[in-house]
Amino acid sequence: MTSFKEFADVCWQIEQISGSLEMTEVVSELLQDVSEEELPVVTHFVMGTVFPAWSSSQLGIGTKLLYTALSRSSGICENDIEKLVRETGDIGETAVISLSGQSKNQATFSSFLDEIPQLSILEVFERFSNISRASGKRSQATRIKNLQYIFSSCTPEEARYLSRLSIEDLRIGVGEGIVRDAISRSFDLTPKEVERAYMVTNDLGLVAGAAKHGGSEEVGKLSLKLNRPIKMMLAQITPGIEKAIAEIGIAAIEWKFDGARVQIHKDGDKITIFSRRQEDVTHSLPDIVSAVSQHVNADSAILDGEAVAMDKNGRPRPFQDILKRFRRKYDVQKSVREIPLTLNLFDILYFDGKDLIDLSLLERREILSSCVENAENIVVDEQVLTDDENMVNEIYDAALKAGHEGIMIKNPDAPYSPGKRGKNWLKKKPLMETLDLVVIGAEWGYGRRANMIGSYALACYDPENGNFLPIGKVATGITDEQLAKLTEMFSELIIFESGRSIELKPEVVFEIAFEEIQKSPNYKSGYALRFPRLVGVREDKSPEEAETSERIEHIYMSQRD
Amino acid sequence: MFTATIDAALLKDSIETLTVLVDEARFRISPEGIAVRAVDPANVAMVSFDLTPNAFDDFSASDCEIGLDLTKITDILGVAERSDKVIIELDEQSKKLSIGIGQISYTLALLDPSTIRAEPRIPQLDLAAEIVINGKDLMKSVKAAEKISDHMSLGVEGETFFIEAKGDTDNMRQEMTREQLIDLKTGDVHSLFSLDYLTDMVKPASKSNEVTLHLGSDLPLKLNFNIANGEGKIGYLLAPRIESD
Repeated sequence: MTSFKEFADVCWQIEQISGSLEMTEVVSELLQDVSEEELPVVTHFVMGTVFPAWSSSQLGIGTKLLYTALSRSSGICENDIEKLVRETGDIGETAVISLSGQSKNQATFSSFLDEIPQLSILEVFERFSNISRASGKRSQATRIKNLQYIFSSCTPEEARYLSRLSIEDLRIGVGEGIVRDAISRSFDLTPKEVERAYMVTNDLGLVAGAAKHGGSEEVGKLSLKLNRPIKMMLAQITPGIEKAIAEIGIAAIEWKFDGARVQIHKDGDKITIFSRRQEDVTHSLPDIVSAVSQHVNADSAILDGEAVAMDKNGRPRPFQDILKRFRRKYDVQKSVREIPLTLNLFDILYFDGKDLIDLSLLERREILSSCVENAENIVVDEQVLTDDENMVNEIYDAALKAGHEGIMIKNPDAPYSPGKRGKNWLKKKPLMETLDLVVIGAEWGYGRRANMIGSYALACYDPENGNFLPIGKVATGITDEQLAKLTEMFSELIIFESGRSIELKPEVVFEIAFEEIQKSPNYKSGYALRFPRLVGVREDKSPEEAETSERIEHIYMSQRD
Repeated sequence: MFTATIDAALLKDSIETLTVLVDEARFRISPEGIAVRAVDPANVAMVSFDLTPNAFDDFSASDCEIGLDLTKITDILGVAERSDKVIIELDEQSKKLSIGIGQISYTLALLDPSTIRAEPRIPQLDLAAEIVINGKDLMKSVKAAEKISDHMSLGVEGETFFIEAKGDTDNMRQEMTREQLIDLKTGDVHSLFSLDYLTDMVKPASKSNEVTLHLGSDLPLKLNFNIANGEGKIGYLLAPRIESD
């Protein structure tokens, strides 16, 4: 039985390493040292996750709950814990300090035994599972007590990693890539074997387990399984249709629908729908469920498609309307009537017990067409095979005219590669212009970015009264180097600080790229940006030269045209 | 095999002594009665629960062990008036428990007892002092401490039992001599306890005229009382908070 202490020691060791080769080596040793039963758990833990991505189990520990549990086992009040978090910028360090302090630590019954038992990795996993399963009136107390137990049973050094793991943010720099390499190294597999197994299972813990159990042969047996969602195949942006056709030759052209991607698993009569992030959204989409059960002729199938919401004029509704459908938990039938969805299917990965992902797109497409009857709210979307640029341009124009995002240009001979953003699928859509927005606030970062200003509040300008109206936040697209520079620049503009948040004098203008402007009650401008990212600082612009609220509205309207 | 009939009020009170600590529990049933040993998820508090057949109007059982979801049972007993009779019957074959309240009959799935946490090993504890106190008085003291802190000290100094709470800025202290208590066995001791737990425990204990506390220094507290007119025994054990040096 491996103790959590051993795991924590390895984390500490990894945290001191910067090179990924060396990290891989340490992770690989860890994977070899643990038992077959512990391996799947350790594989996830080392990446800072508890359950595999496809699993519907969610840990769901928020910082508030974590502070309460830590407070109960350390005897330090929650306010002081929050203060420590602000000072250290790290929940791990906070846990170390609070549990090693001279305070009123809560004893457990184990404290009175001659030999205090060590917390094992599997015990930690069991407690996390209890937390994830807890439901009902007293569930919050149950979650706190299980977490409290973990903190009461460990040393402060273990608590550093336990606390970070409990919010699934381990911060030791180990991601999927390193773990994949470590698995191939530990169990003598080629990176290709590991990659394939990961693509079809979406579970590195499972892959590692199979590898330890039966090496290459066992890993080769792993395949797609119904009700275990896999990642979706993704597309690269192509700069131009001409270039795309030059690369692919005769290509399969499809509309790129403006909707939400879904992966549908049909297992006999049971239909489960997963979102792009592999969340089970079946409950919110009864209309899609019934469309699939009526019009898909297959005992079992895994389908890939896009759920689209249309308005009265047959044009796609804004993305947030679709989100409303996906997030709806109560009164689902009402939202089905208000925002009906159409399912556009474009791929099939599994059919009547057979794995199809190694077949070519054309072969898969044939199977898809043969098992789906098109109906009012379920269609296999149209596909044209061509290498005629003019024709592709026509399809592109038609897609945009219909209000959709653009087109997909796919290699007809390519297999389905789950989770890959490769050259076999390309997307062409119009480039959005950027917005110049004023920075009016910010937040101090966490962890590695603790002493940096990490997230910026953006605003547009209202020339009528000279106000800056908030429109969102940007925290992506910023390099470490930029971050340091920006922190220095903004530290002179701080008006007021409260906790992590900072109010800034509106002086700096950012150039911001985005996917879409949405209506939003959360920001005073009435709008919010979808996927904002920093392009650069517009040093040439004054805050008053930033986008006006009128122009934001104009762009919002033109998106709808 | 297990069938029994019991007053709803008595059953509700009995179950409450468990739900203050755990959501699910294993019940060991035998011709001698029903016994439960359960520890809270944090491994900080434990309950031992024993009910004799005399607590029931009707009781017949052979040895068996079942796991029950207490949240569900409490919810169901909510439909019963305190004066109702509850008829319990175990169907071991289908692993269901039926609970009859008047004309209503519930059939509940059982939990697999092996999935429910077993009670921890408890070492021998040397608890020198013993205090016997009225349950209501104990609850009042705990409530008084709650006003200013989330923990409180229980101790004995000479012939005096004391309760003390320290908040960030404010203090509370209460002293009781043997005359104000039911009984007191002296011994210089004191331990600190979390009020989260004490509050939960004194709630069911407050219904008893006689609650016995066993105290040591930096050692768990034992809190014992009877239910069901002496036909049931409840014992709580609560680990202290310890000031490290």
